[in-house]
Amino acid sequence: MEKKDLIIRVAGEGGEGIISSGDFIASACARAGLEVYTFKTFPAEIKGGYAMYQVRASADKVWNQGDTFDVFCAFNGEAYELNKHLLTPGTAIVYDYPGGDFEPEIPEGVAGYPIPMSATAKELGSYRAKNMVALGALSVLFNIVEETLIRVLTDKFAKKGEKVLSINLAAFEKGKELAAALEKKDEWALAEAQDPKDVIIIAGNDAVGLGAILGELDFFSAYPITPATEVAKYVSIHIPKIGGTLVQAEDEIASISQVLGASYAGAKSMTATSGPGLALMSEMLGMAAMSETPLMLVDVQRGGPSTGLPTKHEQSDLFLAIHGVHGDAPRVVLSVEHVQDCVEMTIEALNLAEEYQTPVILLSDGSLAFSTQTIPTPKPGSYKIVDRKLWDGQGTYKRYQLTDDLISPMANPGTPGAMHISTGLEHGEDGAPKYAPENHELMHRKRFDKIKPIVDRYPPAELDGVEGEADIGIITWGSTIGVVREGVARLVEQGYKVKAMYPKLMWPMPVDQYEAFNSTCKQILVPEVNFQGQLSHFLRAETSLKPIPYTICGGLPFTPAMIVDKVKEMV
Amino acid sequence: MSVAALHKVEMTPKEYKSDVAPVWCPGCGHYGILNGIYRALSELGVDPLNLMVFSGIGCSSRTPYFIDSYKMHTLHGRAGAVATGAQLASPEKAVLIVGGDGDGFSIGGGHMPHMARKNVNMTYILYDNGIYGLTKGQYSPTSRPEMTAYTTPYGGPEEPLNPLLYMLTYKATYVAQGFAGKPRDCAALIKGAIEHKGFSYVNIFSQCPTFNKIDTVKYYRDLVGPISEDHDVTDRGAAMELARREPNKKVPVGLFYKEDKPTLDERVAEFVTRVGGKPDYDLNKVLDLSRP
Repeated sequence: MEKKDLIIRVAGEGGEGIISSGDFIASACARAGLEVYTFKTFPAEIKGGYAMYQVRASADKVWNQGDTFDVFCAFNGEAYELNKHLLTPGTAIVYDYPGGDFEPEIPEGVAGYPIPMSATAKELGSYRAKNMVALGALSVLFNIVEETLIRVLTDKFAKKGEKVLSINLAAFEKGKELAAALEKKDEWALAEAQDPKDVIIIAGNDAVGLGAILGELDFFSAYPITPATEVAKYVSIHIPKIGGTLVQAEDEIASISQVLGASYAGAKSMTATSGPGLALMSEMLGMAAMSETPLMLVDVQRGGPSTGLPTKHEQSDLFLAIHGVHGDAPRVVLSVEHVQDCVEMTIEALNLAEEYQTPVILLSDGSLAFSTQTIPTPKPGSYKIVDRKLWDGQGTYKRYQLTDDLISPMANPGTPGAMHISTGLEHGEDGAPKYAPENHELMHRKRFDKIKPIVDRYPPAELDGVEGEADIGIITWGSTIGVVREGVARLVEQGYKVKAMYPKLMWPMPVDQYEAFNSTCKQILVPEVNFQGQLSHFLRAETSLKPIPYTICGGLPFTPAMIVDKVKEMV
Repeated sequence: MSVAALHKVEMTPKEYKSDVAPVWCPGCGHYGILNGIYRALSELGVDPLNLMVFSGIGCSSRTPYFIDSYKMHTLHGRAGAVATGAQLASPEKAVLIVGGDGDGFSIGGGHMPHMARKNVNMTYILYDNGIYGLTKGQYSPTSRPEMTAYTTPYGGPEEPLNPLLYMLTYKATYVAQGFAGKPRDCAALIKGAIEHKGFSYVNIFSQCPTFNKIDTVKYYRDLVGPISEDHDVTDRGAAMELARREPNKKVPVGLFYKEDKPTLDERVAEFVTRVGGKPDYDLNKVLDLSRP
């Protein structure tokens, strides 16, 4: 397969401008009409520690972070040490030398470009401009459109005053000069600029916030938690613009409680958290299910359990999202693949909560949270927005009336003739507590059966790969889908009979779709980033499938190469 | 509480009663508090349609069932947090929270300071009987150490907390204390709390004849005394001094403190004004911020 993309990894000490360098490259690529997918890792500490930012850019759609880098830019010795095993023939390294804290050994077949980043920045009077020296060098060496890069830098630094701007631009120029004096020893170059597209470039967490705004959210209650806090940050900036409210609660129990109360009062309401927060919220999610109160929650998963790996990637909250509650309580659980999903499925999740009067959990994950991606600019007003079914004022109002679709009309406070109690106690149709055995069974059936139609109404899971019979069928979820897409494409091109299924409605499970997929595959492989194989578990429990789990949990996502290798090993 | 919800209807106290009758034990102080609530709602002409009553779990948390209004019977300890969300989402409505000392200060204790300091525009009526009644009589955060109970057969090993000092410390803007044995006084304090714009807290001693055998009606009658008329209700320091519990000192009942300051919903509404918020705001302007 011809390689059309370029993957640049910048790494060094947190606080050295690694993240801003990556952002500049990503923005410049997007301005040049390229598709961008970024991937970052950073320490849980505020200052220091190893930080890494990888930009993958291509004229074609990019679905994941890629296998490894083509070009590595090392800001310090630690970054070099952590990445040197990836310096395989064909790759290139740009490194801080002389004047840095290390002198790398350049392996045979690797193009090495020493650039005195630290020394040059010091000469210019600002050590903080080190990353600009690196950027200048990268732009010359790898054809990162200089014009767009300078525009991005100017836009960014102009806000910080003339002096800061001029030092940074000077550092950038110096980096260019230094690189121009070196002999180009590799073939790597960014794709040629394309016609500008109508895109935005946005990170997963911000995109969830954007979805909330486009989804006409009224109320958001937040409690800070890595890696979900940016959702609240984005919403806090923009929700007042549509007349809504964001408050920060004293803990996650309070934030989910406030969301429930706001929803009861008639507001479209949500919160965002990560696994530890979701664990604290589980009792109130039971109350929302019991009282049939619409409520939406985004869980940006991180490495667990307990404090775990707060800044690292994992998909290990599927058990908690689906079954983390006392008693029998229905939920709807969705998962997002990429940043565009973060926008659109947040709107969908809000809609489903309102329509089915039930808690809806949207699962994102740590790598998607901070991954910036180019996506077609969303069109405000073009999305279907669903509000709760309200009582029509006819007859006697019963909050939990057994209607044909089992969805009882709601009456927001203030509605004449419909005063009622919403309670966590088991209740009859009128909302009054009722403990009769037959009533508990009846009401359980109501609450569970009302969400069943979602399975048929929700768009079927996307299928990928070969048509008809396949040797291997891959089922995966969340951001792992983007990795599998590329793995499957490579395998199919190499003649392997591989297909894939990408469910986004995790619960209730589309059992018939899984069975149909299974009937065309000799073996089912389920890659996911958790220890126990959580989706495999649900497939075994709920379907006749015999999935082969492929689990990793090292804090990093899969790569397409890992999928390819695994399938080849199985066939 | 929201002024918009007041003086909307003319209803007798009885007309605020729902079809459900209380099932508290005979002699329970909660009956007196409930009557005080009916009376206060009537005197203020609170429109039941625009009244939301929240409770957690406990004997007193059954109160919403007995009031004709919109209401929510939530989880143990969470009434205040749920009510906060409802109040912010619907600031024109009247919001009342009812519950007990265990619900409010033990399992729900983490929420109490924040309702107060944020000045959420709602009224919290705490039925303080120094016992967990619904679980058959365990010591609570306001139980006296000498009380033997279900899980404290040798007496309580802990110091009780002081609800009024707690609320004054965290800057509740209306703080009062009453005794269920004086329902008219309770009604007046509850009325003042509901009329107050901001977070109002009323602590009401309520005897539990079934499980709390030491805090009897006679005990409370001997314990409490009126606040002297020269107490300045705008002086938080003086209020805190009054709230200090000392041996052989009468425990004051009446209004301790009252302050007018912006409520949380008013402050949040300022943000909307500041950014020019409106339902048809041009969201393309938001999207433009994410252009590369």
